[in-house]
Amino acid sequence: MNSIIIGQYIPGKGFFYKLDPRTKILSILFLMISVFLLENITQLAIAIGIAIIILIIGKISILKVLKGLKPIFVLLIFTFIFQVALNSEGAILSSALLHFNIFSVLTSIVIFIIWRLLLQIGKFKILLFFIFVLALYFNFRYLSIGQEFYSFRLTIYEKGVEMSIFVVLRLLIIITLTTILTLTTKPTDLTQGMESLMHPLKKIGFNSEDFALIISISLRYIPTIFDEAQKIMAAQASRGADFSEGKLKDKMKQIISLLVPMFIIAFIRSEELADAMESRNFVPGEKRTRINILRFSMIDVYSAVFITLCFIGTILLRVMT
Amino acid sequence: MGIRFKNVTHEYPSYSKKTYKAIQGINLNIGTDDEYIALIGHTGSGKSTLAKHMNALIFPTLGEVEIFGNNIKSKRDKNINYNNIRKRVGLVFQFPEYQLFEETVEKDIMFGPMNFKKSEEEAKKLALEAIHLVGLDETYLKRNPFNLSGGEKKRVSIAGILAIDPEILVLDEPTSGLDPEGKQTLMDLFSDIHKKTGKSIIIITHDMDLVYRYFKRVVVMKDGRISFDGTPDELFKSDIIEENHLDLPNTIKVLSYIKDKFNLDINIYQKIAEEAVQEINRVMEYE
Repeated sequence: MNSIIIGQYIPGKGFFYKLDPRTKILSILFLMISVFLLENITQLAIAIGIAIIILIIGKISILKVLKGLKPIFVLLIFTFIFQVALNSEGAILSSALLHFNIFSVLTSIVIFIIWRLLLQIGKFKILLFFIFVLALYFNFRYLSIGQEFYSFRLTIYEKGVEMSIFVVLRLLIIITLTTILTLTTKPTDLTQGMESLMHPLKKIGFNSEDFALIISISLRYIPTIFDEAQKIMAAQASRGADFSEGKLKDKMKQIISLLVPMFIIAFIRSEELADAMESRNFVPGEKRTRINILRFSMIDVYSAVFITLCFIGTILLRVMT
Repeated sequence: MGIRFKNVTHEYPSYSKKTYKAIQGINLNIGTDDEYIALIGHTGSGKSTLAKHMNALIFPTLGEVEIFGNNIKSKRDKNINYNNIRKRVGLVFQFPEYQLFEETVEKDIMFGPMNFKKSEEEAKKLALEAIHLVGLDETYLKRNPFNLSGGEKKRVSIAGILAIDPEILVLDEPTSGLDPEGKQTLMDLFSDIHKKTGKSIIIITHDMDLVYRYFKRVVVMKDGRISFDGTPDELFKSDIIEENHLDLPNTIKVLSYIKDKFNLDINIYQKIAEEAVQEINRVMEYE
């Protein structure tokens, strides 16, 4: 298995890669607030248009961004369905009576089995899912044979559809924004940016430098710990620990046989790392200089101006309408 | 029976090229009787990958591995119980001390046998035998494994695999990190086990002195392929050593130097220091 890339940073060139991480963090923050200030679909559509133009200017592959959306695709579907089902304002778009009787339930099971079998092909998973849902809908709508033990009126209202599109679009924009952030910023730069932004918090006793150090060290060791977990699993598997089968009691033992060594190695490593750092005169709490100093450039200034304009624009829109 | 590699290739996915061939075109037979094999090769030659195929931890991308009659191919076969294979082929990784996790040495050694469905009494008996086999006495059984010295931990973890009673034992660099005395103690242990039980033992090592001293058969790997399969004497008398970026055992190197420097008719193929000294004395008596 390849090492996990946190936040999926992919190296590249272009506008976004040259920005200071602090600019990016603050921009994303203000942009997200702006998006939440928008009130209707038209405004959202304009926002998406602007976003796409920015992506093209920044030479970010829209494909990569869409790929990053795959994991939350199911979430989006659920959000959509929820809004449609729960909202009851506006004109009625369609009203259907769903019949639940022995036959419709049986056929729904058959439809389910067919869907699972078709999934084995491996392709068109999303398309098959939609066909499955449609099939279920027609099944319960039209198959009213025999004794009904339950009926349900599924009403879709105009406002419901509108709201769901709105919510889904908004979610899409938010996730795209954060994807751009993690796509174009190295985790270490991100940490450094956050540390710098949180510097004022020192006054209330929160040491942002220590916090950033903890995050950096954790990030750096994720691949190492992952490799070690693989090694220990291989060693215990060679002693017969089958991580996939077994009763609950056996499984517990197997998990312990993985966790105990991992913890011990982690503690040993922490001590060694602490010794190594102290040998190089690291003292927690003391001021340290950096080898990479974050510097603002003109690009950051232009971006800041643009973001500020967007932000003010959305506030005005909100206030005036 | 035993293990048979039939034209095995194993590819790992990698970033730069599409895949990385760790081993390719491997054909190798390992019997269950009395084999004592050293698996050597430069770093990255594919030794560890080869070893992991031997107990079905990983599957070949191409070709098949036959282990005790089970044909392991790239696709998972529902009819094969892969876990059972690990009962017959025991694999000990480098730094096995890190696999210790139980409260007592006895419980840790019992982990293996009990995973293979031995009863608690049977497992206890096996643990007792195993702890003796590795040269430690019963008092170790009730101790906490984490309170042992490095060498003792190593032995306990090897006992953990011996208790499973595999027919073939594979060890990946068991002597790494040990001083010369430790290396010898451990290697004598394996020879002992081999003589007492007659099990086939395969050891991955970098140490040419150990190879020459203890092994009957050497398999050399280079760039993912097997480049030599024969006796250590054949290996060190041939040119293959240089081609494979390998070194000669110290005895041969020292005797070679003496032979060339003093123009003596020495048989440089001596396996241990004592024999080398005897040979030098023998030759000196003639002079």
